[in-house]
Amino acid sequence: MVIKNKPEAKKTKLKKVAAIKAKPKVEKKPVVSKAKIKTAEAAANGKPRVAIISLTSCEGCQFVLLDLGTRFLELTEQIELVDFRLIEDSEDDGGMLDIVLVEGNPVTKENEKTLLEARKRARTLVALGNCAAMGGIPEMKNYHEGVSTIKHVYKYLQGISNPEIREIDNFVKVDFVFPGCPINGEEFLTYIPELLKGNIPIIPDQPVCVECKKAGNRCLLLDKKPCFGPMVLGGCGATCPSSRAQCQGCRGLRPTGNVGAMRAMLKNLMSDEQFQNMTEIFGLRDDLEERERRDRLTKR
Amino acid sequence: MNIKINHIAKMEGHAGFMASVLDGDVKSAKLQVQEGIRLIEGVLIGREYQDMPLIAQRICGICPVVHNLASIKALENAMGVSVTYETERLRMLLGYAQFIHSHALHLFFLSLADFLDMDSDIELVNKYPEEAKKAIKLREYGMEIVKVVGGRVVHPLTNEVGGFKKSPDREALKEILNKSEDILRTALELGDFFRNIKIPDFSRETEYVSLDKKGEYAVYDGDIISNFGLHISVDKFEANFLELQKQNEIIKRVEHAGRSYMIGAIARVNNNRVKLRANASEYLKSLGWNFPDYNPFHNILAQMVEVIHSIEESRRILLELLNSDLEEVVTRAYTVREGLGVSAVEAPRGTLYYHVDVDAKGYVKNVNIITPTAQFLSNLEDDVAEYIPKILKLKDSEKEKKLRAFIRAYDPCISCAVH
Repeated sequence: MVIKNKPEAKKTKLKKVAAIKAKPKVEKKPVVSKAKIKTAEAAANGKPRVAIISLTSCEGCQFVLLDLGTRFLELTEQIELVDFRLIEDSEDDGGMLDIVLVEGNPVTKENEKTLLEARKRARTLVALGNCAAMGGIPEMKNYHEGVSTIKHVYKYLQGISNPEIREIDNFVKVDFVFPGCPINGEEFLTYIPELLKGNIPIIPDQPVCVECKKAGNRCLLLDKKPCFGPMVLGGCGATCPSSRAQCQGCRGLRPTGNVGAMRAMLKNLMSDEQFQNMTEIFGLRDDLEERERRDRLTKR
Repeated sequence: MNIKINHIAKMEGHAGFMASVLDGDVKSAKLQVQEGIRLIEGVLIGREYQDMPLIAQRICGICPVVHNLASIKALENAMGVSVTYETERLRMLLGYAQFIHSHALHLFFLSLADFLDMDSDIELVNKYPEEAKKAIKLREYGMEIVKVVGGRVVHPLTNEVGGFKKSPDREALKEILNKSEDILRTALELGDFFRNIKIPDFSRETEYVSLDKKGEYAVYDGDIISNFGLHISVDKFEANFLELQKQNEIIKRVEHAGRSYMIGAIARVNNNRVKLRANASEYLKSLGWNFPDYNPFHNILAQMVEVIHSIEESRRILLELLNSDLEEVVTRAYTVREGLGVSAVEAPRGTLYYHVDVDAKGYVKNVNIITPTAQFLSNLEDDVAEYIPKILKLKDSEKEKKLRAFIRAYDPCISCAVH
């Protein structure tokens, strides 16, 4: 999932999953009443109530927040941090939330429950990073051996929850996405004030190349290094190409990126297999296939 | 009687705890893992070797550097790729920086509140603003190094098989070096604060395993040693240590000679303390421990010792690199070859092992990753089982607090352990 409004992508993904799993549990837009939202705001003595929750993940996106150091601590003064288990032991009071930030994948039953509960309590649900938004590293197994991947790792499989990996928007409505693996701390600080006000920001539709050029980098494509920059949503500060690492699309496709042209251009730099492999790392492959299908339909 | 903790916060990953006690005897004490599986080793099979470091480092958001270092070293060993001296030194610098920022996080933000009887870091920061600033300053020094050398703090980018994609900016390195003296002072001041924290008294003899290298406090490479006389090369690890999965468990435990063992800061300080740099060595002496020291709560102070040592070490490396040609770190051409490679590096939480099998085209045939927490989990549980009788008379809420503190002092990383 890249940004909002991708109902088609959801449908396909669900079909794919449905073939493997009989009953995909999809929560349709849970309705939060206005009265409840009011309660949330009132309870916080004027401060917005925020929870940061982590499903199965490396927790790197939470660390990006913590790594903001004093700037993160300043932010915590403006909000009521209801749940952030990385730094506090106190029990979550279970009340309504203005914003919930969700990191990681729902892998265990407990993860799934946490996610559904969070949606019920929150006015705004935000995906924090690539795993929550696009499936991330754990989704790679979907493209190959699927749930059988487990046989390479474990001898005893009983009692281990091993689902096909699905992005959180297959379970709950997602209002905003902080993209990236990991998220970008500066970008977080840019958009969080808007979110706290109750608005849903829109990340400008521009490629990674804009910031890459601004940074004065030599284009990796000119050096025949396959880089996804032109079709991928910018806002990351072009961190990867600035380190001479190709963009592998962890922030997802740009809404208006010309995927067909990009694919054609990359054919000179990498084989189809290499292209496909690279799109799998950050869960871009299913989004790309969906986009190509949509583009074909529009052409007709 | 059962003691149950649903979820232990302020720890990497998710876990709870459960113990059953009968007439004062601890029948079982177990960490209950609540993390899902990601099957990182499984998804690596069949992929091109270049993908391995960037996928494997995503096992952990706090210590990606060590997964990056260990996977690259294992691949280089598998394919017979050698790198320049400067590359090795720059990688070591990354390793020390990882120690500094991970330890500073754990000893201050994850563990300290336990010894001051507080629940939240917000409370801690309000009560001790100066110390908090110092801890953040140390953390930022470590992160700055990773950012300048690796291109990014969480999931660094530049290090790869054969060297670095890009040499670090000389001016930025100079700036870090200029800061380092002040940072060392800050670390020593924070060290004074930690020396005066009241640490619970508990002790249980165990085997301390760590890397060992002649003439240096081993962090980036070396042989495997223990305080019980073990001394083997890294490629003998799998023959001497047993990794096993018990039914219904998703962390694979590791045993040595049929027993649990301990790794990490406390093990390294015990095994290699004579090789610490001057300030770290002096600080350790000021703690007045008798060696071997078997108090697991001391792990936090051992981390403080390592922060000081790592700052001293980072200064030496920076000085050395600034006097050399930094372009020497840039990746050199190499041949992709079939082979099997192993590696070990000291991660903040203990020795991290990688084993990789690559085919002639560079595709990964097999991978095994053995993380620190998977290794010390059984030792943690054995310790806790012996600790519980000592706190049995306390109120339930107090007991729970003590156990949380105990488990957190170990600095477990459940994300790493499950991967």
